[in-house]
Amino acid sequence: MSRIVDGVTRPAPITIEIDGAMIQAHPGETLAAAIVAAGAYRMRDDRSGAPRGLLCNMGTCSECFVWIAMDGAWRRRRACLTPVSERLRIATHEGQP
Amino acid sequence: MIDIAIIGGGPAGQAAAQQTLAAGLSTTMIDEQARPGGQILRQPPATFAVKGWMNGRLYRPLRRLLAQTEADTRLDWRGETSVAGIERIDTHFRLTLSGAHGGTLLARRVLIAAGCYDMPVAMPGWPLPGVMSAGAVQTLLKSQQVVAGQPIVLLGSHPLLLVLATQLLDAGADIAAVLMPQTYGQIARAALPYLAGAIFSPGPLIAAGAAMARLRRAGVPMMMGARPLGFTGDGRLEAVDYTWRGQTHRIAAQAAAVSYGFLPQSDLPRQIGAAVRWARPAGGWETVCDGAMRSSIPGLYVAGETTGVAGADAAMAEGEIAGITMARDAGAAAGSGIARAQARRARMQPFIDLLRAVADPGDVWPQATPETLLCRCEDISVAQVEATMARLSPMADASAVKHRCRIGMGLCQGRSCEHALVRRIAAARGCDPDAVAPFRVRFPARPLPVDEIID
Repeated sequence: MSRIVDGVTRPAPITIEIDGAMIQAHPGETLAAAIVAAGAYRMRDDRSGAPRGLLCNMGTCSECFVWIAMDGAWRRRRACLTPVSERLRIATHEGQP
Repeated sequence: MIDIAIIGGGPAGQAAAQQTLAAGLSTTMIDEQARPGGQILRQPPATFAVKGWMNGRLYRPLRRLLAQTEADTRLDWRGETSVAGIERIDTHFRLTLSGAHGGTLLARRVLIAAGCYDMPVAMPGWPLPGVMSAGAVQTLLKSQQVVAGQPIVLLGSHPLLLVLATQLLDAGADIAAVLMPQTYGQIARAALPYLAGAIFSPGPLIAAGAAMARLRRAGVPMMMGARPLGFTGDGRLEAVDYTWRGQTHRIAAQAAAVSYGFLPQSDLPRQIGAAVRWARPAGGWETVCDGAMRSSIPGLYVAGETTGVAGADAAMAEGEIAGITMARDAGAAAGSGIARAQARRARMQPFIDLLRAVADPGDVWPQATPETLLCRCEDISVAQVEATMARLSPMADASAVKHRCRIGMGLCQGRSCEHALVRRIAAARGCDPDAVAPFRVRFPARPLPVDEIID
């Protein structure tokens, strides 16, 4: 685990779904941080199908563009600027359920 | 219609807001982050409690300013919001916002204090997940209280890496190595011309020395004069290759933090047509302004890294100057400290010049190969860009290359590749990068859902 524990108080974890796998995240965390903390670096695929991960973590590069299930549709958002929420479902490549 | 819109909630924007609010002007501050602070004081989520957060001595004035900003109920704070567009309409401005406070915002005056970002540097294997900017690793640490991966390798020419290394040590992270391409001798020679003047800003110099000593005591391998070659791994970073003292080495790493300098965020000034110039030595475009922080567009002001990367203390001083100027220009009761703030800012310049000279990647750029991707959004390689340039006239500007091979056409709008393309064109022509016309910057400055802009 790469979350710093000493001196840090976080709210109780919630569960979010990434590519069908369930990971734990704490309310307030960004999606990018939750993915990195879970040891899963993939955020999107490039044109050749190779995985891409977090690069700038400040909304500038868009390398962390993930697919998020919102209101019955898949929308693309920058994971580094998106807070986690209960029952959040994301996909790192297009065409996933 | 509001009096003042401030784009960016970092030290510059906050210092300006103090002045405009004190002058009785309605002030709205917009930032992509949920809480003010900027990247230097990127705050933990409001739901977290972090003991001793950023309590170093150098951060104290910044923290004081942040506490004042957050306590000021007159400020209209709009976090989690991107500014996608800026236009001048008659004598006022229209901002197109996206995110939590999406919509349009009309303002009589606008301050762009949008900060800077880590310069993306193309080298073999850099798109592998786990290879990050030093800023990304640092903000994960500061704000999210997450270590980006272990073991971690820090590499690049910018001394920020030393600060980051001590912060990673504090977090108990396993630092595999710090690889800096300059030797101690080269650093000393670069710093020498500025040392006498930099004595007026002893804080950062002392801090850098203390960081070095601490890293040595902790046994962190510091390799000066090491040249990073690239990154390898199957689907994610597994190792960093470099040469050191004439030999090639491979070191295992799950994460890498790269820092060769910073580029000003220049999308919005360029979108509205404000005068910019090539920033020296690191590159990118800094917005031109007068001593009172007025840009070339009437009613548009700039402060902080937007005017050239100079650090948080300079940003605070420039923000104060900009805030007083905006209050004056609005005919409001402006503060009287402008000359003091200008003198304070001027005293910082020798240290800023020193840091720029020391960090300058000019002679120590990592080498890209023909297969290395220059444009990470559209997956355009160095070879494709070179082939396109070879087909065009040497006088073809960045936009001509973009239109032929799609470099810079992706989601980042060229923020990752444009500086590299301009350097290549300048090198091919044998001219200064300032003589190469960059991409035409267009709306939107940030990716936004189409339904947010369709009524």
